[in-house]
Amino acid sequence: MNYPVWDVTFLGSGLMIALIAIFHVFISHFAVGGGFYLPMTEALALRKGRKDWMEQLKKHSKFFLILTGVFGAVTGVGIWFVIGLANPEATSTLIHFWVFAWGIEWVVFLVELSSIAAYYYLWGRVSDALHIKIGWVYAITAWLSLFAINGILTFMLTPGQPWLAVAGSGHETFAFWSAFFNPTFWPSLLVRTLICLSMAGVFALVSASRIDGEKHPELKTETILWARKWLLPSFLLLPVGLFWYLSQVPEGHRALLSLGAATVGQGLFTILTRLTIVLALASFGTVASVYLLTSQRNAVGFRLGAALGIASLAYMTIGATEMLREMLRKPYVIGQHMYSNGVRKSEVAGFNQNGYLTKTLWVRPEERARWAAEDQAAASGAPRIVNPARGELMFRGQCMACHTWDGYRGMRTFLKGRDRQGVSNIVNVLHAYRADSPYRPFMPPLVGTQAEVESLIDYLTSQVSAPKPQPSKP
Amino acid sequence: MERRWSPVFNPSNLLKAIWQWVDARLDLSPIVKHASEKQVPEHRHSSWYYWGGICLFLFVVQVLTGVLLMVYYRSGPDAYDSVREITYQIRFGWLIRSVHAWSANLMIFAVFVHMFSVFFMKAYRQPREFGWWSGLGLLGLCMVFGFSGYLLPMDELAFFATRVGLAIPETLPGMSGIISAVLRGGPEVASATLQRFFALHVVVLPALFAPLLGIHLWLVQKHGNALPPSEEAKPEAERKSVPFFPNFAMRDMAVWLIVLNVIAVLAALFPWQLDAAADPLKPAPPGIHPEWYFMSQFEALKLLGRVIPGTLGEFAGVGLFTLALLMWAAVPLFDTRTAPGQRGRNTTLFGLLVLIAVIALTVIGYIEVL
Repeated sequence: MNYPVWDVTFLGSGLMIALIAIFHVFISHFAVGGGFYLPMTEALALRKGRKDWMEQLKKHSKFFLILTGVFGAVTGVGIWFVIGLANPEATSTLIHFWVFAWGIEWVVFLVELSSIAAYYYLWGRVSDALHIKIGWVYAITAWLSLFAINGILTFMLTPGQPWLAVAGSGHETFAFWSAFFNPTFWPSLLVRTLICLSMAGVFALVSASRIDGEKHPELKTETILWARKWLLPSFLLLPVGLFWYLSQVPEGHRALLSLGAATVGQGLFTILTRLTIVLALASFGTVASVYLLTSQRNAVGFRLGAALGIASLAYMTIGATEMLREMLRKPYVIGQHMYSNGVRKSEVAGFNQNGYLTKTLWVRPEERARWAAEDQAAASGAPRIVNPARGELMFRGQCMACHTWDGYRGMRTFLKGRDRQGVSNIVNVLHAYRADSPYRPFMPPLVGTQAEVESLIDYLTSQVSAPKPQPSKP
Repeated sequence: MERRWSPVFNPSNLLKAIWQWVDARLDLSPIVKHASEKQVPEHRHSSWYYWGGICLFLFVVQVLTGVLLMVYYRSGPDAYDSVREITYQIRFGWLIRSVHAWSANLMIFAVFVHMFSVFFMKAYRQPREFGWWSGLGLLGLCMVFGFSGYLLPMDELAFFATRVGLAIPETLPGMSGIISAVLRGGPEVASATLQRFFALHVVVLPALFAPLLGIHLWLVQKHGNALPPSEEAKPEAERKSVPFFPNFAMRDMAVWLIVLNVIAVLAALFPWQLDAAADPLKPAPPGIHPEWYFMSQFEALKLLGRVIPGTLGEFAGVGLFTLALLMWAAVPLFDTRTAPGQRGRNTTLFGLLVLIAVIALTVIGYIEVL
């Protein structure tokens, strides 16, 4: 069964997920890394007997609580809304299989939120030792929530053979742990933990930039020099983690990375190469600019604008990493199991035989009966009836999770200048889905009976040949 | 036996020796002394000081990527094919082309920001008048760089936009012959035009730009960073500054890194596309318009043409433009206050008026063509 698809004009639902998810990852990785930063810095300040630093840390923990507790939580719920609308079939599969993992994650999350609230509100009200312990409770539970989510996210790229062997049999739960500790679990956990630590440093720099350097030059310098140390492990070990991660990704997916070396052609998955360039440059840029802007000489004059510049670079790094991870999965939304159009690998033959739109609830019965009669008549030699409305349903079901008409991955640009034959050539290549098809590495198969495929061609041709809608002028 | 290194092999001694050898021949010590003594004022407007450096950095990116593009670019009848090869066949050719195109646009934007920041900080006042004029000259050259570079791919958009661009001054009395003879190399935009634009883009303009840039940078070093009137009004003891080297230089480099990342994101997510090959026999595609930095001028001419139709309107438009440009260039001659802290409110209002007019005309221009 396919669902009616959420229509996000221009941006497209895929980009909508990216916009919300990247912001969420930016905040949530800070929530995890900052968890370690708080008790470690508090212990350091205590050891040095620095009351001024403790005061500064209290202000930082307020900033931390508001940013992670409000924006992190709201965007987390936002992701649920948007993935449920953009790809309901995949979301449904994940909910059904991972229900207990998510249950555990929610419990951990509850402890996490309670402990960070306690950490902030108990400043000066409990002993220092207990306060630091509360900080560690937060740090560990925050990291455990990352641990749980990491299992689910990496499963989507590499579910592993044991799970794939039982997928669809009703016995998937027996492969729960092998699916959780799948091939990319550990390298991804390393990469994400490193990113979390560097995000702690980045946000500590943001709050340190607000210290009045003229009044407190020593505090400002010391806070900044301590904060920037948090970026180094990530910068030095991230390439190792990424190579380890990529070595665990199936070869077919990894090959996508080189698609953009020689070309930037429309419709190809060259974006992966392009994102890799951004990732490499932005991660280097973040660390290098931190060290240039916060050198011993410049620390006192370090301002909010500079800190936000660094935070923007970190945002670019995270954005590129997340988009890369999402796109490496193509043509699947759940690796080797479900294609990005929500069609399971095991269902392709059935859809091609019996039709894609046969079971959808979003068609009136009389309409379905008319289509069946038309198909039968066409099979016995009657002229085929052009049916773009039926094609539009195919488009909404199988294309719109990724494509828009005039914006992100815009179909009008891809199909520009093609007549019906030109459109038909592409669509039929996607339908045949031969092993040597140039689209196979990144596009899912187009499923349905030949009559349904023809109706999709009717619809696409009618849209491409129609003039682009112009905004009305006053 | 313990091995002892002779002091001459100590890396710092070696570097010192090399430095002394070079300095004895090139006399670089005064430059280093100047850099170490130079101070950059620090106040709430000092972020504007980075924009000159950003322009310089973008120019360096332009030169480097431009040279790389020249390795594969073939002017003349093969121009389009060579750009197609760069974009679709040569490894990372698309990246170099996209970086070149994006950094060109960013550079013109940065030069505009730098110009207005200099204007509002009154950094054109005595003794910095030549800094202002050389800067305006560099902006003019940047815009001609942009116009000449736009045609080089010889795709449909480039061809028709250049045809429209060259048709504007042609309507003025006596200009038609000059445009045809000098820039277009004939009655139509064609292969000869491309060759001329290429020569202009890679030989003539760099030959003019490099020395003018040298003069501009020398003037900046000579006079130092100007203080805005609000800072000038403060007693000297209250003013703050940081050493140019290494403090400000390190910040400058960090800003350049951020700019480089902005270019990388733009080039990666919005790579520069290539249209179909130019075909003079085809009708111009709808919505042809000049690049954004010519849009305000284009729109002003269009609006004036509606009020005063015909050649007279075009003539009045260009005349008005020339007058405005001369007034803008002559600001240091009008605003001659030398006492510290004098704000010059009328000049600020004039600057605001120009800024608002440029932005408004650009926006109106885009609303009309899109």
